[in-house]
Amino acid sequence: MGCSSSLPARNSGQIGSLSTEGSSVSDSKNLRVKLVLLGDSGVGKSCIVLRFVRGQFDPTSKVTVGASFLSQTVALQDSTTVKFEIWDTAGQERYAALAPLYYRGAAVAVVVYDITSPESFSKAQYWIKELQKHGSPDIVLALVGNKADLHENRSVPSQDAIDYAEKNGMFFIETSAKTADNINQLFEEIAKRLPRPTFHFLTVKPRNLSMSYIELSYTLLWLPTM
Amino acid sequence: MASDPNSPDVSEPIPNPSPKEEERLASISLEEPEGNHVAVSRLLSNGSSLPADFHAEDEIEVVEEELLGEGSSSHGGGGWREISEQDGEAVPCSPSSSGYAGERGSSGPSSGIEEVDDGVTLQDDWVPRKRHDDEDDASVSWRKRKKHFFILSHSGKPIYSRYGDEHKLAGFSATLQAIISFVENGGDRVKFVRAGKHQVVFLVKGPIYLVCISCTEEPYEALKGQLELIYGQMLLILTKSVNRCFEKNPKFDMSPLLGGTDAVFSSLIHAFSWNPATFLHAYTCLPLAYSTRQAAGAILQDVADSGVLFAILMCKHKVVSLVGAQKASLHPDDMLLLANFILSSESFRTSESFSPICLPRYNPMAFLYAYVHYLDEDTYLTLLTTSSDAFYHLKECRLRIQGVLVKSNVLVEVQRSMLDGGLHVEDLPVDSSRRSRSVSPYSSQENNISGSLRPHMGLGGPAGLWHFIYRSIYLDQYVSSEFSSPINNSVQQKRLYRAYQKLFASMHDKGTGPHKTQYRRDEDYVLLCWITQDFELYAAFDPLADKVSAIKTCNRVCQWVRDLENEIFLLGASPFSW
Repeated sequence: MGCSSSLPARNSGQIGSLSTEGSSVSDSKNLRVKLVLLGDSGVGKSCIVLRFVRGQFDPTSKVTVGASFLSQTVALQDSTTVKFEIWDTAGQERYAALAPLYYRGAAVAVVVYDITSPESFSKAQYWIKELQKHGSPDIVLALVGNKADLHENRSVPSQDAIDYAEKNGMFFIETSAKTADNINQLFEEIAKRLPRPTFHFLTVKPRNLSMSYIELSYTLLWLPTM
Repeated sequence: MASDPNSPDVSEPIPNPSPKEEERLASISLEEPEGNHVAVSRLLSNGSSLPADFHAEDEIEVVEEELLGEGSSSHGGGGWREISEQDGEAVPCSPSSSGYAGERGSSGPSSGIEEVDDGVTLQDDWVPRKRHDDEDDASVSWRKRKKHFFILSHSGKPIYSRYGDEHKLAGFSATLQAIISFVENGGDRVKFVRAGKHQVVFLVKGPIYLVCISCTEEPYEALKGQLELIYGQMLLILTKSVNRCFEKNPKFDMSPLLGGTDAVFSSLIHAFSWNPATFLHAYTCLPLAYSTRQAAGAILQDVADSGVLFAILMCKHKVVSLVGAQKASLHPDDMLLLANFILSSESFRTSESFSPICLPRYNPMAFLYAYVHYLDEDTYLTLLTTSSDAFYHLKECRLRIQGVLVKSNVLVEVQRSMLDGGLHVEDLPVDSSRRSRSVSPYSSQENNISGSLRPHMGLGGPAGLWHFIYRSIYLDQYVSSEFSSPINNSVQQKRLYRAYQKLFASMHDKGTGPHKTQYRRDEDYVLLCWITQDFELYAAFDPLADKVSAIKTCNRVCQWVRDLENEIFLLGASPFSW
């Protein structure tokens, strides 16, 4: 059992399992996928997740601390199931430097902005660049414009987002966690786009990974990275 | 009455001072026997009218009990509400109550001053509120607030303000900074400034300045302690390495780094008026049968041996059990700040979380990683580790712990103890010879039919005992009795805590103290404090209470606490030394 071995050994073991566990696959019909949500604070990341996982919407805003972990399984029409292990990260600036801890090894990154907030759209672009640089090379990226129910206050034109997503080879959708609009579609669409590996074995990432984790724990997590 | 040889009797250190009413805060070491205190106390014309006439202010609002589900929230809610809607003449101002001189009554200069978001609700019912972002230092309402807290940078940039929008307070912040640096330039340090009823307390922590402006008449030491805790709370969120940002850029704007943490700070500030842990520097346990706590401790220990630094099981603010890895010790202040952080951040309730946090007394420079999971409505498990990638391991640990806790019925017992409450002064055994194990409501399974049916608010204990706090010095734990009539609304509870706080400060005064005993009578209470090597006892009695019986009662309280220590304290935990 992992937890009974000595500390350093356990740590390196854990690193392997943390980065691969998320995207590991039990068989080609039952996928297990690590998904991370990123985006500015207050765009509705947690609301999207809670709508998807529990079918709930809570209008009172609850600031996420660090990151929350939830999972949900979807069944696709071709009788495959996909179990999403979701890291809902905090949007606060002080957690920005912590993000790699959550997106590393993720098979899917959902980058969320608020259609009424241009700042959140530029923050989304920042995250996409960051993921293109440091995320897994085959990561599935989704750009999500949330709060679509507030379309009278829209300040990010859909076309801008569509263009940006196209340029970056991403999937784009507008959702409303409040009305549940497009929430399930978002995750179903992601599930369809997942690569279906025939080999179930994923190699452990290079060794230097463990270095970056250790560095991370001593990094100033809040240092503005923008 | 067969007295226990171990029990200190009345002739022991507890003093019997001569009955002078002015004797406030005087330390007492007289050995003379009793005097005619009953007669003297009758001179206090208002003493007898306390409960009925207690004045409740207009600002008291009923807060919805929305956040808490069934059960516990109904507890304690009922009593204060009825009382708080009563009207009456204002109680003459005692130092600790002047803040509540009402708007209806005779109006002094302080009559309009409000302290809206605390003091009006019990801890259970308190919901962090909007903190009046529209206000700034030009607003009348802002100026009238009784207690302000500010964090600012050494360049005068606002970082946090309890009321109003920090950014609108830039000018005010700069003024505070100017005061501090003016004194610093003279090679000195400003501790506090008194201006009429207001006290301005300063605390400088490197590039971070903390300021409290208060007209609550709390002692300087108490306010300074509160600023220290606010600083600690900030470190818990950011660590002390934030100082480096100021080294790089002295004009660094730190306020965005605390984004979304308003509720954490306002809940801590609220705790200053209801949670004795904020001035006792001790934690408190949920009363549980010894075997129940042992069972919880054993599984936590199991997990701690697998590389978890601290495993903490808590129910609201009370500890069920906690375990540290070898040589790791947890400071009660860190526990207070951690519990406050978790309880005030709603997102922890929705799902399991993994977040960086810093324990300032453990290591102010580094982050630990906290896995937090609520096992039920009130009970949550916190696993702390130094490793940023231990999430899946901690998740497994939690599943194991949860399995054991469910199987061994710990969670059910915890819920039951929450409903039964802690020690009730009404249950104080009549004399030490009659005590037996069965007086403990927690030690056996089949008891407690009476316990559950007990009316929540009692009528006070023997000899006019209203309330007590017992702090064990070796264990760094305290136990506080449940509130009983007439201390049955939060305004009165806050007033009592402020009186205890004052007592605490005077007992630990570095100039004149430390003291061993203090007996103090005013129009609100008889307060008795007794400090030995092993414990500190703070007790509040009816102002008409007879001194000799009060002292006897204190001895009985101590004996009672010792008899119950297996249930009310966490014993044999890893040493809490630092």
